[in-house]
Amino acid sequence: MIVAERKPLEEIESMLKGYRRVLTVGCGTCVAVCLAGGEKEVGILNAELQIARKLDENPIELGAACVERQCDMEFLDELQGMVDQYDAILSMACGAGVQFMAERFEDVPVFPAVDTTFIGANRDVGWYEEKCRACGTCVLGMTAGICPVTMCAKGLFNGPCGGTNNGYCEIGNDQPCAWYRIYERLARQGRLEQIMEIHPANEWRNQTPRTLVQAAYRKRKELAAS
Amino acid sequence: MTAKLETAMEQIEIATGVLVVGGGMTGVATALEVARQGYPVTLIEAGEKVGPAAESRPRTGLPDARRLQDMAARLAQTDGIEVLTATRLDAAAGVAGDFKVWLSTAEDVLERRVGAIVVATEFDTAPLYDGYGLTPGGAVIGQSELEQRLAGDPGSFSGKTVAFVAGFAQSGNPMVMQRIFHCVKALQDAGAAGVYVYVGDLKVADDGLEREYRTGRDRGAIYFKLKEAPAIAASGAQVVIGFHDPVVRQQIEVTADCLVVEESLGVGAQCADLAAILRIDIGPRGFLQSDNIYRFPVATNREGIFVAGASREVRSLPWALADARNAALQVAEVLGDGTRLVPRDKAVVDIGKCTFCLTCYRCCPHGAIYWLSENKPVISPVACQACGICASECPMDAIQIGGFTDDLIRGQIAAKLAQVNGDPAIVAFCCQNSALPAGEMAATFRMSVPAGLRTIQVPCAGKIDLQYILDAFVSGADGVLVMACHPGNCKSERGNTYASWRVEDAQRLIAGAGLEPERLRFATLAANMGTDFKAIVVDMDQKIRELGKSRLH
Repeated sequence: MIVAERKPLEEIESMLKGYRRVLTVGCGTCVAVCLAGGEKEVGILNAELQIARKLDENPIELGAACVERQCDMEFLDELQGMVDQYDAILSMACGAGVQFMAERFEDVPVFPAVDTTFIGANRDVGWYEEKCRACGTCVLGMTAGICPVTMCAKGLFNGPCGGTNNGYCEIGNDQPCAWYRIYERLARQGRLEQIMEIHPANEWRNQTPRTLVQAAYRKRKELAAS
Repeated sequence: MTAKLETAMEQIEIATGVLVVGGGMTGVATALEVARQGYPVTLIEAGEKVGPAAESRPRTGLPDARRLQDMAARLAQTDGIEVLTATRLDAAAGVAGDFKVWLSTAEDVLERRVGAIVVATEFDTAPLYDGYGLTPGGAVIGQSELEQRLAGDPGSFSGKTVAFVAGFAQSGNPMVMQRIFHCVKALQDAGAAGVYVYVGDLKVADDGLEREYRTGRDRGAIYFKLKEAPAIAASGAQVVIGFHDPVVRQQIEVTADCLVVEESLGVGAQCADLAAILRIDIGPRGFLQSDNIYRFPVATNREGIFVAGASREVRSLPWALADARNAALQVAEVLGDGTRLVPRDKAVVDIGKCTFCLTCYRCCPHGAIYWLSENKPVISPVACQACGICASECPMDAIQIGGFTDDLIRGQIAAKLAQVNGDPAIVAFCCQNSALPAGEMAATFRMSVPAGLRTIQVPCAGKIDLQYILDAFVSGADGVLVMACHPGNCKSERGNTYASWRVEDAQRLIAGAGLEPERLRFATLAANMGTDFKAIVVDMDQKIRELGKSRLH
């Protein structure tokens, strides 16, 4: 899932300085799961803003909503009747949700309340680890389920480099060497020969926003476009 | 306010089978007692045999060995007891009244549905050679080895001198002494020439131990109670033991043919695995029970899972058998007649709001939450203790606790603050197990508390939502107190810990918003601390008067 972190109140306050009526919208999927932008966090953020603005003698009127997913237009439609009553929207969704919100309600300024951090996994309550950089060229099949793009400081597809240091990366002893781990796990699974396969370098330069249409829905997209 | 009494109830069916883990005498006794109550039992033992053979208590000279053998033999003659040896608990799912367990035997993995589980495993022993600077071999042996030799060929000790050392490498324990007394008797029966026992602490606080000690001494065993371990020099087939005798005040040397080293009595090897499989808390010494004053001795943090005998503490046989009977009573309490009346609204998950993040499952200290693929999380009304930790952690506010819903509590905050006039308004969220009765005690004893104090009852401090605290300030509170049980005293294990974390977080948040963090305070109390309750609230009132009214008014 996508992992996000609540922005400091100060930053949110400075974005909302000139606005008196703001609708805070949570997102009930990834950011709710990572305890950053679900219904509870909407309530907490609104209470913080209310306290801060009242103390600043610049009171604010706050609305609260939480939709299933801000990255789906259909769920944003639910806000249709509410948005008009506000000067601004504070979105607690990830960057994708904030942008869809801004696109759906183009006349209203939309501000992000969280920093979208990474694609990660949930180790325990409130504890997340980055696992994927969405490179678009998944090599996990040949790297024993360990992502070298995320875990290797150089993002090497063919490693390790000369900086591997007793199982750790040369950048520091807190960071395990991804390729050392890959080697160990491939060996454990008896498929070490796969480490010799050379994977062509990824084309990182000149990247433009990617669009994905699942094969089964390509015709549907053509139909919608025509 | 007290919890609503008009709660709607519903009757649910529960499984009445019982799994007993461990085939030593504690497990055997538990199985027999549970079966006697009419519930079907599956008894599993990792080893090949059940009964005295699976015991970690003295293997020789057991005064009631025959009785124990007879007890074990009754397993086979009792209806409704399934005994599986060489079998381990592989996995478990579900909650009290509806556990599913997977048991791996030598050939197969069996699945059973049970309503309750009793862990009755044995403790482990290990000779403490290092504690005496000794290496095993020659004349130096451990207690277990002596017991085996005495059971096999007691005649080999005829005419020999045997010495024991105990209570220097670990603190004294009656069970260590009991093993020694039994061996002393067996050695005397076998015609040993001399028996010497060197002890640091000679602890005999258990059934009949004083008598066993005296009988052995009367028959010629010599006990030395020393301040420090004797000097032991092992040379081939003999050992020389040198020590200062405090009675004759002389340095003495004794030569023995055999030196027996005491053994530690420790947590059974299976315990850690069982704790992980059953999701039960481990106590400070590694046994399967955390300290909790609210629980019966054999209870765990999970309803329907009990621990008896050495799985919870090194206990002598009579105490372990008492545990077995207690566990059987507790099992009957949970299983009843196979039906159970439970409140419908104990803890309700709004499936529409739930985002299935597993926070509730991970936070529940009672293991009362599980999930179904088609139905998202379910909070078992049997296993749930209604502490409200899950409800306060849920990121979607999707869980409501009967009698303590968000609407009810937030309504109370607003209503109670509206009544305060002039005085500093202080909202005190009080755990009903500690701070609330402490406050009631203060009132009964007519201690004067600040006029602006308004208490709000919560089932556990774990129910005090971060948002309630912020709400109180928004609604005009000048100060907020979060009052929980003392560390380690929480009925729900970690409710007070969650509350203290939330207070820290809320202090950070209100400070960020420009409010003095001193307006929020976390305090811990016990139910009988009325004077302390008064001191805390008076101190808070003082603090608020110094800070002045909240600028949020």
